[in-house]
Amino acid sequence: MLTQESGDPARAELDREVLRWMREPEWRRDDARFESLALRLFAHQFEHCAPYRRFCEGRGLTPRSLRGSDEIPAVPTGAFKEIALTSFPLARARHCFRTSGTSVRARGALHLDTLELYEASLLPSFRRHVLPDLPEGGRARIVVLAPSADEVPDSSLSHMFAVVLRELGDAASGWFVRGGELDADALLSALDAACAAATPVAVCGTAFAFVHALDALSRRGRGLVLPRGSRALETGGFKGRSRVLTRDELYGEIESRLGIPAARIVNQYGMTELGSQFYDSVLVDPGAPRRKLAPPWTRIRIVDPLSGEQRQGGREGAIVVQDLANTGSVFAVQTADLGVARGDGFELIGREPGAEERGCSIALDELLGGAT
Amino acid sequence: MNAESVRARMHALREAGARLRARAPSARLATLARALDRWSDPQSSWRRKLESKLPAATGFAPETVRRGLAIALADWNGAALERLAERELGALRAASAGDPAFPGFELCAVVLAGAIPMPTLKAIVAPLVLGTPVLVKPASRDPVTAELVARSLAELDPEVGACVALAPLSRSDADAQAALLESDCVVVYGDDATVSSLAARATASRRFVGHGHRLSLAAFGPEVAHGETLAVAAAGLAQDVALWDQLGCLSPVALYAVGDARACDRIAESVAAGLAEASSRWPRGEIDAASAARFAHARADAELRAASGTGVSLYADRDGGWCVVREVDAEPRPAPLHRFLRVHPVADARALAAAIAPHARHLAGVALAGFGAQRAELARSLRGSGATYVCAPGSLQAPPLEWESEGRGVLASLARPPSSRRAPSGSLL
Repeated sequence: MLTQESGDPARAELDREVLRWMREPEWRRDDARFESLALRLFAHQFEHCAPYRRFCEGRGLTPRSLRGSDEIPAVPTGAFKEIALTSFPLARARHCFRTSGTSVRARGALHLDTLELYEASLLPSFRRHVLPDLPEGGRARIVVLAPSADEVPDSSLSHMFAVVLRELGDAASGWFVRGGELDADALLSALDAACAAATPVAVCGTAFAFVHALDALSRRGRGLVLPRGSRALETGGFKGRSRVLTRDELYGEIESRLGIPAARIVNQYGMTELGSQFYDSVLVDPGAPRRKLAPPWTRIRIVDPLSGEQRQGGREGAIVVQDLANTGSVFAVQTADLGVARGDGFELIGREPGAEERGCSIALDELLGGAT
Repeated sequence: MNAESVRARMHALREAGARLRARAPSARLATLARALDRWSDPQSSWRRKLESKLPAATGFAPETVRRGLAIALADWNGAALERLAERELGALRAASAGDPAFPGFELCAVVLAGAIPMPTLKAIVAPLVLGTPVLVKPASRDPVTAELVARSLAELDPEVGACVALAPLSRSDADAQAALLESDCVVVYGDDATVSSLAARATASRRFVGHGHRLSLAAFGPEVAHGETLAVAAAGLAQDVALWDQLGCLSPVALYAVGDARACDRIAESVAAGLAEASSRWPRGEIDAASAARFAHARADAELRAASGTGVSLYADRDGGWCVVREVDAEPRPAPLHRFLRVHPVADARALAAAIAPHARHLAGVALAGFGAQRAELARSLRGSGATYVCAPGSLQAPPLEWESEGRGVLASLARPPSSRRAPSGSLL
C-alpha cells in the first residue's frame, strides 16, 4: 500500500481522504471539499514533480499565487509520451499503463505507485453507470470484448475490465479477445448460453472490437436478441482501424445484431492518463438527454483552448479534466477533445465525418498514424 | 441542386464546349490570358471583389488575403498562361506526332476544397485552355472565388463564360454527386480520403486527377546562420507560414536547421521574431475550436518539454496567434498548423535528407536558404524525394503558374493521350 511505502505523510493523507470520498455510498458534489483537496494536491505535485513545477512557474502560477483550483495548470495528454510525470520517485513505480499508439512515436505512460485509487475510482463509476440495477453484493454476466489484463498488462482499459470482472462479474463472465483476435465462437456460445438462461448480459469493449463482433455475427448470418436488461458499454474510437462507423451506425448495428437498444448503450470516456472515467447517463438517468457524468472527485472544465478561460453558455471548448484520483501524477489534464457542458454533465463533440477543411495542408499527426 | 439539374448543366456545358472549340485555339487562349491579366491586377474590379468578400467567407484576415493574393497572383498573368500553354501543349503536339485532334476532354468536373483561392482560379482556367468546359462544385469553405471567376469570364467573353457552371451540391446528395462524376474528366481537391472515395466512384470518367493533402517544409543551411542573411531568410519564411494561416499545401510546417545546436537556437529565435512581425502585419484569422485545441495542446506539450529540461525552447505570443518550437531532434511531430512551426536541428545534408524522407509521399514545396554551392544538388535531391516546388523562403506562397502539386503538368494532366483523341473535333494550339 502506498500509505506504508511512500514515506510521504502528506501524500498518504491525501490518498486517504480521496479514497474515503470514493468509497462513500452516496455521490454528492461538494465544491468546498473538492477545492480544498485540489489545492492541497496541487501544492504536493508542484513540490514533488519537477517538470510540472517548472511548467507552472513558467506560467507564473505557484501554490501561493493560485486563486482557485480553476487556475491549476493542466498538462497536455501528449506530454505523457515523453515525460515521466510522477509526484513520487520513479523508482517507486509499481505499475505503468501505456496509451495505445503506433510504433512511430512513443506511447504515453502513466506511472503509478499504487493501484488503490485507480481501482477505488473505477468501480463505483462503472457500477453506477453500467450496472445501476445490480443489487448490493450481486454479480452480473459481463462479456468483455478486449484482451485480458494478463495479455496486455500495460493497458489501463484491460486492467479496468479485470477489476470489474473480479468484483462484479459472475462465474460465466470473461474475456473474448485472445491473442489479439476476437474469439467469435466462444463469444457466440457465451451469448447463446445467456439467451438460453434468460440472463441479461453487459457486453463491454472497445468500439472496434464491437465492429469485429458484429461482423462475425454477420458472416455467420446470426442476429441475437439478448435477454431483456442487457446493455452494452463501448469505449474508444476507430482511429487507424479498417472499418469506421459513426456512433449512430455502431449503435444501430448493436441494436440489430445483439438486440440491445441504443438507449441501453453506454459510451465511456476515459484515457490512460486519468485515474477516473466518465460514462453516459442513459442507464442511471433514463429518459433524460444523453450526457456524460463525472464522479464527484473530478471536474470537467470546458475552456477556450487558447485562453484557457471557462466557456460559458453551452459553447464548445477543449476538455480539461481535473481528477483527484491522479494523486501520483498530475491533477489537471488538458485533452485535445472538444466538449460542451450539458446540465450536470458534458457532451463530447466529434468532428463530422468527411467535414471539409479550410486548407490543403495536412496536420502531421495524421501522417504519423494518429498516435494517441 | 439535385442530380437532374446537374445533368442539365452538364448537357448545356457540352453544347457550349462545342461552340468554344469551334473558335481558334489561339483566340481561346487570348481570352483566358486577358482574364488572368485582370486577376493579376490588384486594381481590377474582380480582384477587389475577391479581396473584399473572401475574409468574411473564409475567416482569413483581410490583410492576409490582400497580401496572399498580391504575391500569389503577381505573376499569374496572361503572358504566363501563354508560356504555359506553349510549353505543355507544344510538348503534347510533339508527342502526338501531328495528331490534330482536340487534346482535352468533353467535360471536366472540378470538385474544389478548402478556402485558398488560387487553386480555384487555376482549376477553372486550365480545362478551358484545352477547350474543355468546366462544371465546378465550389468548396464549402469558400463559396466566393469560383463564382467570381465564373462571372469574370462571362463578363469578358460570354461564350467562354457559358463554358463554366457551378454545381453547389450538398455533400449528402449521393445522386447529384454521382451525376457530377459522370463527366469524362474529374478533378478533385480535398483530403486523401475524399480523393480516394471519389476516385473509386468516378467509374464513368476517363481521367481522374486527384489533388490530395500535401505539406511543405523549409531548410536553412550553414550560410544563413547569422546576421542579415538570417534575418531576411527568417522574415521570408515567416511570411510563408503566416499567409493563409499555414493551411495551404505550400505552407511550411517544419524548418530543418543544418548545423550545430547554437545555429539552431539562432534560427529558431530569428524565425520567431519574423513570425511575430508577420503576425502584426497579417493577423491570423479565425480558428475553429478543434484547431485551437490542437494548437493549444501542441504548445502546452512543448512548454512542458521545455520545462523538463530536454533542451526544447518555445517561442509564442501571449494570445496563441503563433508558436515556434525549437526541437532537439529531427523526429516528426504533430503540426497543428495555424502558424505553428517546429525548428529541427540536423547535422548535415545527409541528415536533412533522412529527416525529409518520411514525408516524401506528401511533400509539395521546400524553401531553401543558406546552402550556397550545394543548393542545386540539394534541390535535385528534394525533387527526387517528391518535392514539386523548391524555392527561396518568402516564395512558397507564390508558385509559378506552371506549378502543379503532383508534378503532372497543369494542362498535360487534363489532356487525353493521343491514341484516344477522337471526337469532339478540335485542334492543338
